[in-house]
Amino acid sequence: MLKNKKIAKVGIGGPVGSGKTRLIERIVPILIKRGYRCCIISNDVISKEDAERMQRTLSTELKVMPENMIIGIATGGCPHTAIREDPTINLAVIEEIEKKDPNLDLIIIESGGDNVMTTFSPALADYFIYIIDVAGGDKYPRKGGLGIESSDLLVINKIDLAAHVGADLAIMERDAKKIRAEKSYVFVNCQTGEGIEYVAENIIKSVLFDKKPIVKKDRIR
Amino acid sequence: MNTNHEFFLMQLADSFFPSGMFGLSNGLESLVKHDRIKNEQDVLNFIEQQIEFQLVPCDCLVFLIAMDAARNENIEELVEVDNRFYSMRLIREVRNTSVRSGSQILNCVIQMTSDKNKSKIAKDFQKKIKSNETVGTYPVCLGITANLLGIPTESGIRMMLYSFSQSVIAAAIRLGIIEHISGQKILIILSDKINNISTNIKKESLNNLWQLTPLTDIFQMIHEHNNSKMFIT
Repeated sequence: MLKNKKIAKVGIGGPVGSGKTRLIERIVPILIKRGYRCCIISNDVISKEDAERMQRTLSTELKVMPENMIIGIATGGCPHTAIREDPTINLAVIEEIEKKDPNLDLIIIESGGDNVMTTFSPALADYFIYIIDVAGGDKYPRKGGLGIESSDLLVINKIDLAAHVGADLAIMERDAKKIRAEKSYVFVNCQTGEGIEYVAENIIKSVLFDKKPIVKKDRIR
Repeated sequence: MNTNHEFFLMQLADSFFPSGMFGLSNGLESLVKHDRIKNEQDVLNFIEQQIEFQLVPCDCLVFLIAMDAARNENIEELVEVDNRFYSMRLIREVRNTSVRSGSQILNCVIQMTSDKNKSKIAKDFQKKIKSNETVGTYPVCLGITANLLGIPTESGIRMMLYSFSQSVIAAAIRLGIIEHISGQKILIILSDKINNISTNIKKESLNNLWQLTPLTDIFQMIHEHNNSKMFIT
């Protein structure tokens, strides 16, 4: 019997309201247009609100993926636990997905969490994107924390709000560069789509290794 | 004296052990939301009733049967008790959670065990799960785990009842209806009952399994349809 191949997994973490769900809504259509098949797991402490929103936008409105490929997990307690100390709830769901659809290219795992504590267990995610927004203040990158320092890609969202909240993007860039050394960061505006291509390209290069997906008829939905 | 099993017992009962159990309130969240459980006494009553009418006549018996079957390397009996227990889970969230926690605890203990002969029955059962011949419910996988780690039956039952009580109390604290000292007091009050059950419980046949917690079942069904919730069940 052939062993099921492991599907690549990207973890997207960030504080509440930073734009995690919007980022996924933006990058998934790009990946799907390039022929990659995705599944989304959304961890939420008190509801499945984000999963249901993505089902509306990505399945009902854009029709880019089936609704059952967007799964909501109500984690109970702290989301850090569900993605780091005890990721078994997520691992169990991933095993079910791998069994159901072993030909998927990518599983995106979303979870809320602050900059100090958020990071994904290596058992759960192959690549970790941490997203913050400028409305949190231009001190955010400088303050560091596991998410800001250890993520594979730091995404700084809502750059259009910088002028309105007194945040200096140059300071944020200087501090991000300093604290992350060689690791990537990008400024984006998830509302307009600015910078999103860069995020999608990073996933394709670093996680999917630029592997061209096999185009089958059943990939077109 | 070989005290390894005590260490394993502590490890298994520790909320740091990866099993996904931290996300469960076992029906408490829904009962709290509907004002059926409001304070320390209510939490204690709820735990005692669940132990008496759910855990002892069903989950604990399944655990004992599974431990015995694992000890005898009786894979058919393990599959039978697993499917029977699964069919008795009336609520979808509870069924799914039991299977997810069960398969994860089994996977964890297989990777923890270096002695391949000792873990053979666990691996055989895992193969049955992967080939969809069985599902891998939590008490069955816990029974296989306890057997593999050399945990005595009595200690296994004590651990099971303690872990259940602890998870309900932790949920009550997170839901804000009791504070942490009250939670510790509840555990102390429960200790006599738990010790008494773990000493006196006897393995019975599969046909003697029963459960009767209709109110909790109904509120767990309501919980499935809630938009906003902190816990999986």
